[in-house]
Amino acid sequence: MNTNKLKINTNNLKTKTMKINYFNTMKTTNFFISAIFCLALTTSCSNDDDANPLPINPEELITNVTLTFTNNADATDTIVLESVAPDGQDGASTETVTGDFTSGATYALSLEITNESEDPADDVLNDDIIPEADEHFFTYAVNPSNLTMTRDGDDIEGPNGSKLGVNTTWVAGDVSTGNNVQIILIHEPTSTDDSNGFGSVTGGSEDLNITFTSVDIQ
Amino acid sequence: MKQFIITIAIAFTCFCYGQTCTYTFLGELSDFHDGTPIASATVFIKEHNKYIVSDSNGKFKIENLCSGTLTLKISHIGCETKTMSYIIEGDTYAAIKLEHHIEELDQISVTGNTSKQKTKTAQETVLKANTLKKYSALNLGDALKEVAGVSSINTGNAIVKPMINGMHSSRLLILNNNVRLQDQEWGIEHAPNIDINSADQISVIKGSGALAFGGDAIGGVIVVNPTRIIRKDTLYGRTIIGGQSNGRGYNMSSTLNKSYRSGWFANIQGSLKQNGDFKAPDYNLTNSGLKSHAFTVSAGKKKFESGFEVFYSYLDNEIGILGASHIGSIFDFDRAINSGQPLTIKDFSYDINAPKQDITHHISKVNYYKRFQNFGKVNLQYDYQNNQRFEFDVRRGELRVVPAIDLTLQTHSLLADVNLDANLDRKIDFGIMGRFQDNFANPDTGVRRLIPDYEKYDFGAYTTAEFQVNDGLIIDAGLRYDFNRIDAKKFYLKSRWEERGYDADFSNIIIEELPTQLLTNPVFDFHNISASAGIKYTINESNQIILNYGLASRPPNVSELFSDGLHHSAARYEIGDLRFNKEIANRVSASYAYNVSKFNLLAEVFYNRIEDFIYLRPFGDIKTNRGPFPLWQYKQTNAQLFGMDLTTTYNITDALLWQNKTAFIKGYDLKTNLPLIDIPSFNTTNQITYSNEAWYNFLVSLKSEWSFEQNEFPDFNFEIEDPLTGEMILIEISTPPSAYHLLHLYSEALFSLTEKTNIKIALSINNIFNTSHRNYLNRLRYFAEDLGRNITLQLELNY
Repeated sequence: MNTNKLKINTNNLKTKTMKINYFNTMKTTNFFISAIFCLALTTSCSNDDDANPLPINPEELITNVTLTFTNNADATDTIVLESVAPDGQDGASTETVTGDFTSGATYALSLEITNESEDPADDVLNDDIIPEADEHFFTYAVNPSNLTMTRDGDDIEGPNGSKLGVNTTWVAGDVSTGNNVQIILIHEPTSTDDSNGFGSVTGGSEDLNITFTSVDIQ
Repeated sequence: MKQFIITIAIAFTCFCYGQTCTYTFLGELSDFHDGTPIASATVFIKEHNKYIVSDSNGKFKIENLCSGTLTLKISHIGCETKTMSYIIEGDTYAAIKLEHHIEELDQISVTGNTSKQKTKTAQETVLKANTLKKYSALNLGDALKEVAGVSSINTGNAIVKPMINGMHSSRLLILNNNVRLQDQEWGIEHAPNIDINSADQISVIKGSGALAFGGDAIGGVIVVNPTRIIRKDTLYGRTIIGGQSNGRGYNMSSTLNKSYRSGWFANIQGSLKQNGDFKAPDYNLTNSGLKSHAFTVSAGKKKFESGFEVFYSYLDNEIGILGASHIGSIFDFDRAINSGQPLTIKDFSYDINAPKQDITHHISKVNYYKRFQNFGKVNLQYDYQNNQRFEFDVRRGELRVVPAIDLTLQTHSLLADVNLDANLDRKIDFGIMGRFQDNFANPDTGVRRLIPDYEKYDFGAYTTAEFQVNDGLIIDAGLRYDFNRIDAKKFYLKSRWEERGYDADFSNIIIEELPTQLLTNPVFDFHNISASAGIKYTINESNQIILNYGLASRPPNVSELFSDGLHHSAARYEIGDLRFNKEIANRVSASYAYNVSKFNLLAEVFYNRIEDFIYLRPFGDIKTNRGPFPLWQYKQTNAQLFGMDLTTTYNITDALLWQNKTAFIKGYDLKTNLPLIDIPSFNTTNQITYSNEAWYNFLVSLKSEWSFEQNEFPDFNFEIEDPLTGEMILIEISTPPSAYHLLHLYSEALFSLTEKTNIKIALSINNIFNTSHRNYLNRLRYFAEDLGRNITLQLELNY
């Protein structure tokens, strides 16, 4: 009796142990395979199809900068300084000067800054710069000093109460040729100084830095 | 259950009582791998409480056995002790396989502080947990500088890319838990996405000797391994908490490991760090803050015969880039250089504003291995990586919150390796690799893509062999083939397309024409052969020589081929070249190690000649309506580099240790005979350490770091005309900063709390004298000085 009972018991024990081992390895392998499968499945769906990527037309591009000086006494006396960079910051720009200043005359400057790569063109000055006047500042420079300028009383308020430099008045000095006129737009300057109409800054980075050469005063 | 056992026990007793014990058990012990008999193994017969020993054929005999259970505990030097049970119902024969050479083969069972090298004849240095923990608050790149000849190329203080013998980025392979990191490693300002706290051991291999990992490691391989699994029932963990005075930073890291005798294990690790604006000796480095969090989980079963692991890691870094480094034109750049200090300095803040980077990296991996008798080990691995990179620039209006760079890089890899280790004197490994990569450049940025959309296919196959010729001589050799295909879709501005002359050479790849842009489909295939061979000769206990030759081929990366645009956060306009060939490097190296009881010397020399070496250099300026902007172009040339790395330690007394690490390297462009750009200057580090184990393992060390001025640099300085005044301005874009010398202090002590718990307190002062310095290999060196004094306190709790 005893013997029989024992034999059955040990046999049972043996098969049980074997089963467990078998089951364990099965589980491991199954788990491994299913894990790979799941990962492959979830990630393969996320691959992009073969569609072509969309073109990007940079939104904050400035392509055209136009300075129009109009004689306060004679509206037909205008000087237009125009800079055109079709690829914006990605490519070269062309500067043209149309018209001559009249010595001794006073001019109002009208600024136009646009992105012509958009259709219709994007008015960067009125839509972006002026609404954020507190972190932009225009500075101007001339060489040699045959032109003087002041920031108008109705100029837009820029950083720390300074005048932004959008509405300015210019006076043409001695008769001369080959004057350089520079316009710079500074983004996020650390400090600004408009005590001299041309203006100066510390810090910040230049969004525009354009110099027109061959500006003549007759 | 208990009752059941008792019943059996009683039954056995009864059973034996009435039996004659005449059965014989014949056992035969052999090695698992090569089947050789194991002689002189001790066999403990539990039921008899008796020991016997196997004979020269590995056989042993137990006579006069009764029916019932026979339990044998077999042990042998170099083998894992094995316990087996048999049911004896008659004469029995059993062939028993022992896991011989377990220390040699099974790295996971090597416990304690042993370091396991990945290669035999390469110039390899292993950094262990104790060293790595000191860098808990810092980066991988900072820690690796512990190795002579390893420096870093930085963008500020938080973006630290390791540099091995003058090589960085795509020329270094970084493996995290056997997953080759695919994290847009091409750029200097792309730091490796690894949390140093997840590493338990890091191997730095100079050169391309480790072919199993890849054939393009012209610079070297960095192998980061997480905590090794100890096969016993245990639960342990570690928590590190630290604070830094500079940047008012804090860091926390915790790891918990659970493992079982059966081989099952689970690990979890997490870390968190943050700092605000760092400080140079005299001013705040505004917008240099960092926020980082990371975690790793893994689980699996490691047994000798087979095992698997499931691993996942996550890392998120938000890194501020020094505000003053944002420039609009070369004139801003010139002002920044000449002002001597950043043009924007604000009060301390934890805020991170644009320019900044926000990068997340995920790694998922499953692997499985099985060992076959008389054959070896087969490993299978699949891994998936997802790298999301955002770079935010200083922008206007609503675009302020829109990243200027938004790239998602996804990589799938499948690996299969076989290690034939049946014969330990002649080990052969071979394997294959398949990889698919997809890069997506999000058009919502509103900025033209610097890196285009692309798909990349890689296939590799390698074999390596290692021969133990005699006790002192090891020879190894390897061969690898890789195929790479890059299939990109890239927009070119028509003006750029023509300016580069691509209209003549690549007109066939245009697939769409837009008013100002062209959509192109460049497809490049590269076939690469790499090889290595080496000898390690141990002359005697104190002298060892290693010689190694490596041939590596690296196809140009997507940045080198396709870069085209304003990279604002790098203050560069970068242009790549579609015409690039692959780089081919031939590197020879020799190492000499001299070890006597008090003095150790390791001298490593190398010569690396690289055909078609690709590098990025300043190339004057590009005219825009923002004013001229610094232009950098990728160029290809032939280059040679050579150098020597020295590591010396001397035990002045038992308590006093002096260490020196010195690296000397030169690199030349063979076409122009100019020095190469971005080569580290001569640097030497001396450290003196006093330790006293009796006093809570107290240790204090003073380290002197001396970096010379790089006087061999390619002079790419250029002049630019101030359009207003006509004056010429010299832009010193190449001129290296002066030499500097820094002193650092480190001290630690270990206190036992209970038998299994201890706490280590470490205090360190970096740059004790708050010395002003700039590093030639920091890309922001033009704009600001490097870090001033930093006092760090770190608590490490082990439990």
